[in-house]
Amino acid sequence: MSQINSTDFKKQKNLIALWSYTFLIIFPLLIILGLLMRLNQGEVIDLGIDNFYVVMTLHGLGMAGLLYSMAFGALWYLLASRYVKLNIKVGYFIYTTVIIGVVGLVIATLIGKFGAGWYLLYPLPFKGTFWPGWATALSIISLILLGIAWLIGNIHVVYALARNFGGLANIIGWQYLGRKKVDTELPPVVLIAAISLIPGVIAFLAGAVFLIMFLLQNFEPGLNFDNLLVKNLIFFFGHTLVNITLYCCLGWVYALLPEYSGREWKVNKLLVYSWNATFFFILFAYFHHLYMDFVQPKPLHIAGQLASYFSAIPATAVTMFGVISQIYRSKIRWTIVPTTFLLGVAGWAIGGFAAVVDSTIAINKILHNTLWVPAHFHTYMLTGVVLFLLGFLFHLTQTKDEQVKDKLSITGFWTFLIAAHCFVASFYAGGLNSIPRRYSDYTGIPMASTHSTGATLAAISTIFIYILLIGLLIMYFSIFKNLRQWYKNPSKT
Amino acid sequence: MHKSLKNIINIISILIGIWFISFNFNEWLCLTMQRHQLIQLPAMLLIGFMTGYTYRKNIKPDQTITICILILTIFSIIFWMIPRSIDLAVINEKFNRIMHFNMLIAGFFLYPVLSKTVPEIKIVFLGMMASMLMAGGITLKTYNLLLCSSFTIEQQKQTGLILILVGITLYFFTIFIFLRGLKPEELKEKVNLNDSIHTQ
Repeated sequence: MSQINSTDFKKQKNLIALWSYTFLIIFPLLIILGLLMRLNQGEVIDLGIDNFYVVMTLHGLGMAGLLYSMAFGALWYLLASRYVKLNIKVGYFIYTTVIIGVVGLVIATLIGKFGAGWYLLYPLPFKGTFWPGWATALSIISLILLGIAWLIGNIHVVYALARNFGGLANIIGWQYLGRKKVDTELPPVVLIAAISLIPGVIAFLAGAVFLIMFLLQNFEPGLNFDNLLVKNLIFFFGHTLVNITLYCCLGWVYALLPEYSGREWKVNKLLVYSWNATFFFILFAYFHHLYMDFVQPKPLHIAGQLASYFSAIPATAVTMFGVISQIYRSKIRWTIVPTTFLLGVAGWAIGGFAAVVDSTIAINKILHNTLWVPAHFHTYMLTGVVLFLLGFLFHLTQTKDEQVKDKLSITGFWTFLIAAHCFVASFYAGGLNSIPRRYSDYTGIPMASTHSTGATLAAISTIFIYILLIGLLIMYFSIFKNLRQWYKNPSKT
Repeated sequence: MHKSLKNIINIISILIGIWFISFNFNEWLCLTMQRHQLIQLPAMLLIGFMTGYTYRKNIKPDQTITICILILTIFSIIFWMIPRSIDLAVINEKFNRIMHFNMLIAGFFLYPVLSKTVPEIKIVFLGMMASMLMAGGITLKTYNLLLCSSFTIEQQKQTGLILILVGITLYFFTIFIFLRGLKPEELKEKVNLNDSIHTQ
């Protein structure tokens, strides 16, 4: 571990406090957008088709961006406060640029009515739109800003880690693969940070290509790009972004869980092999988004299925085994932090399993355009990433003794978690009943049973969203109070 | 060789280069889109780059200035890829000279700026350039209408194809630079963002 001086630490503390407040404020607002969508699908309210897609776009882009930014911000803080020197000015540059990007997206969607979905499926944002051209341009520019901020952040962290741990080969753990004894232990969080952020750099650069193409298209409507090429670029960017969000969080689970279990969690050969497999296959797994595109060469579909299996299974299996060996007979005190981490890993595993099921070509033929897809990504985001983030915030702001005494947060947490699982169950049930995804409502479906099942499940799911919000609110009492104290008290680390 | 003599030879070489590209072969280079976009524009940039390389010791830009210069360079290149600008540069002689001068200046600062700047910014710059070239190339290649009235549609498509190839090459070069920068020996030598900003 490196020593950080008190001035630098204070600066890093301010930055993470800023990220935390931003996350805590925006997150429930984005949930409310999700609630509105499900209320509309459940025929409880009538948003109108246009507004539904506006809300869907902001909810999707907002959640993906917010969760990645907070996960990255937390990883940044953890690395900066323990292992490497990270430049605070770069940290603030990223924060400011992300906020400008988010404001741009909010204006483009809520005022400009941009409603092309997070995936911006080409040529959807340009042909026959119900929103003006400036809203599309503003969305694209905002996304470029977000991409640049994340890109600079990723490169900065990777360089800092490589400098501190002796180069690329060392931060991805290759020194463990030789016969020589390793002199300096590599913290697992460093390995996972490198494995997550390097593919991020490659994906963000690819994202820049399609965003510039979109910008050109916006200025010259007559342009006609290859749809398949654009879709490949979008999903390479989007899928990698969502994947690395999760891996950023897993990094700090590896770092923080041992503090609660009292057992060391070290890097070993198996861990290096499995995470290196993830490093490689994460870049090709996105092909599973294109199974329905018959013009995509068949070998790429097969590669997509194989890469999905190989990118998910080794890291999941090794991490789950690691978590179990951390907690098994460890006399761990089940305060909110280890609970969120354990159940977050469970959420990741459940959502990941559902994702692997869907990435199987034979099954994808049936499930691709159904609610199974939002089911799986809501599982690993809501009951995985969000739990990790909440766990991180509790770890940041409360001592272990304070966590034991804080019964209110535990109550809020269980309320949140049970409601979240019931909520995603409604999506899974929808998927299994062939309820289509991305439909603003189901009134136009000529099959009465599909219409009624879809609407009923959506209406039921809103009850769980209300409960989930109540659980979150209960946790917020504790988080906000403690975050304020932690931020003001210099002795609290 | 005597320093002042070396300087004179350098300046004469640069001027000869400019004279050939901007005056002597200007008409020939403006005849086709490939020559104009893929030879003349990069050649002026290259002459500027070599001039900057020659006088690199005299140019010591500040960290914040380097970012501004890189942004201006990107905008200059984007500007001269816009069909209307290309047309004007071919038709109007004054506009043509402005283009040459702009590319020369952009190239002039490129070496001192890139060698002084931090790896993070360098990679973002190269990555954005690669993305821009690919996107511009795809646009020229796929558009079935004539974008620049001074050239033909076949020339437009061929230029687009070459721009895509250059963009892809630059993209992989950027990844290579990024990964090469992670070698231990490279990391020791390089100016990094922590050190450079902390020491300012």
